[in-house]
Amino acid sequence: MNRKKILICDDDAGIMDLMEIILDEQGYHVIAEMDSLKVKLLIEKECPDLVVLDLWMPVLSGDMILQTIRGMPTFKNLPVVAVSASNDGRKIAMAAGATAFVAKPFDIDHLLEVIARPLDYC
Amino acid sequence: MISGYRRNEIIGHNCRFLQADDRDQPERAILAESISKGVECKVEIRNYRKNGDLFWNELFMAPVRDEKGAISHFIGVQNDVTERKKTEHDLRQQKLLMEQKIVERTSALKESEAFLTSIIETMREGLLVLDPNFVVLSANYHFLRTFKVNLEDTLGKNLYALGNNQWDIPQLKELLVKILPTNNPVVDFEVEHDFPHIGKKLMLLNAYRVELEGQFKDQILLAIEDITEKREIERRKDDFLSIASHELKTPLTTIKGFMQVLERSVPKDASEKFLSTLSKVSTNVDRLNNLIGELLDVSKIQTGNITLHKANFDFDKMVMDAVDAMQASTNTHKIIVQGKTNAVVEADESHIIQVLNNLLSNAVKYAPEGGNILIEINNVSEYVKLSVKDDGLGMNAEDAKRVFERFYRSSEIQKHFPGMGIGLYICDQIIKNHKGTLWVESEKGKGSTFSFTLPKGGSDDE
Repeated sequence: MNRKKILICDDDAGIMDLMEIILDEQGYHVIAEMDSLKVKLLIEKECPDLVVLDLWMPVLSGDMILQTIRGMPTFKNLPVVAVSASNDGRKIAMAAGATAFVAKPFDIDHLLEVIARPLDYC
Repeated sequence: MISGYRRNEIIGHNCRFLQADDRDQPERAILAESISKGVECKVEIRNYRKNGDLFWNELFMAPVRDEKGAISHFIGVQNDVTERKKTEHDLRQQKLLMEQKIVERTSALKESEAFLTSIIETMREGLLVLDPNFVVLSANYHFLRTFKVNLEDTLGKNLYALGNNQWDIPQLKELLVKILPTNNPVVDFEVEHDFPHIGKKLMLLNAYRVELEGQFKDQILLAIEDITEKREIERRKDDFLSIASHELKTPLTTIKGFMQVLERSVPKDASEKFLSTLSKVSTNVDRLNNLIGELLDVSKIQTGNITLHKANFDFDKMVMDAVDAMQASTNTHKIIVQGKTNAVVEADESHIIQVLNNLLSNAVKYAPEGGNILIEINNVSEYVKLSVKDDGLGMNAEDAKRVFERFYRSSEIQKHFPGMGIGLYICDQIIKNHKGTLWVESEKGKGSTFSFTLPKGGSDDE
């Protein structure tokens, strides 16, 4: 079976650690990146099947990255699941063009379900 | 006759006996002088009747001359003017009294004016009095200080011309010209303006036009509160709280996630103690998350920043879903739903669910012995009504009165059930935001019934 490739980006090491473990457990190929500035290049290089993106990050915020992704013809339909602990996260994520939004702290089953949904159609 | 003396007692006597012992009257000197000069005169002199009673005598005296022109004698015409004198005296007394009263009143007015002025000068809100053409009649100290102007440059000037036309603000004009005459008084009208020298100010204006007939008619009282700093502090508090809540939630996400990873990898032979410990940690992580959310809610409610996302939803279904979720988390309590509304309600569903969850979890929490929780739903005219009845501890009247206050905790409850005292406050605010009512009926030892009503059509303020 072809393993789906997921790029995750969050500036918090603990959350990256957690997501790597649970996604890996599900059989996904996980690429983890904490530096928001490297995300765009990584996407172009790795062509992931889905991106999990934290919204509130230093230097480049998740919604800025998202807008950049949506402006790239190759990736304008790339599934992006935005996650955030901020209260207006959903509004910001949807405005920036996220495929789905999951609020922190999340239930991992819920997160896995939201991630699996767009991948099933691919 | 006037004097009460008989003719023979008078004729041939000097008339001074009429003054009895009252000899020092200045009028006597006038009489003496007239006699010596041989001219006529008129005096009012105190005379005494034979019985000693005082009477005022208006005495007109004139010389009588013989053919040669020499004075032969004087003739005096007497007139009893006691009554007139008395009236005059009374009048004088009245006038004196009046004058005294006027002095007293004037001083009271002055005092009262000084008192009012001291109030106006002391208050920390700018106050202008304008005439009907918006010319400044008075400005208080706080106005001058806030807007860095002096009295000479302010009094007698048109409001719009003050300080290089810096008050020529379209919103202010609209307030004074359009709104004030039709909607008197104007309360808390918010105006933002960038002043050339003092910078951007956010002001809360209250205006009142004097309608009373008289010298103050149509004068305008304009109170200006500078809320720039206050708003900035509120904004910073909101920012702080949302950053703090974000930062707290981040490690919480990790804890919750790893807890779930742990739960998934529980060994088959794990002990009962291990499992219950795991579940307790998990429960408390959720509690902590709720508390962080509530703190943020309180801050938003306080600054009025709650936005309602209203939509139509099936009220009965919402109730059943919330009850099912709560029932799944307790096996000590049985939640029974009675009644039906069949209503579609226009409200912010997530907020109403939050209220219901809070009432349900309170019912569970404050009935530690377990038992039934009865939920009743029904229609009351244009409202839906929901009640949550428990057989728990109940509360006394004092607590029932204050239970919706922010941070209120009954001291007795706090001993056994620690909490922050904001859950019901938030519920109350949410229901109020929806133009409904939340209340409690309770008796100590007999449980509590929390009820709320909610308008079906939603409130029409949007």
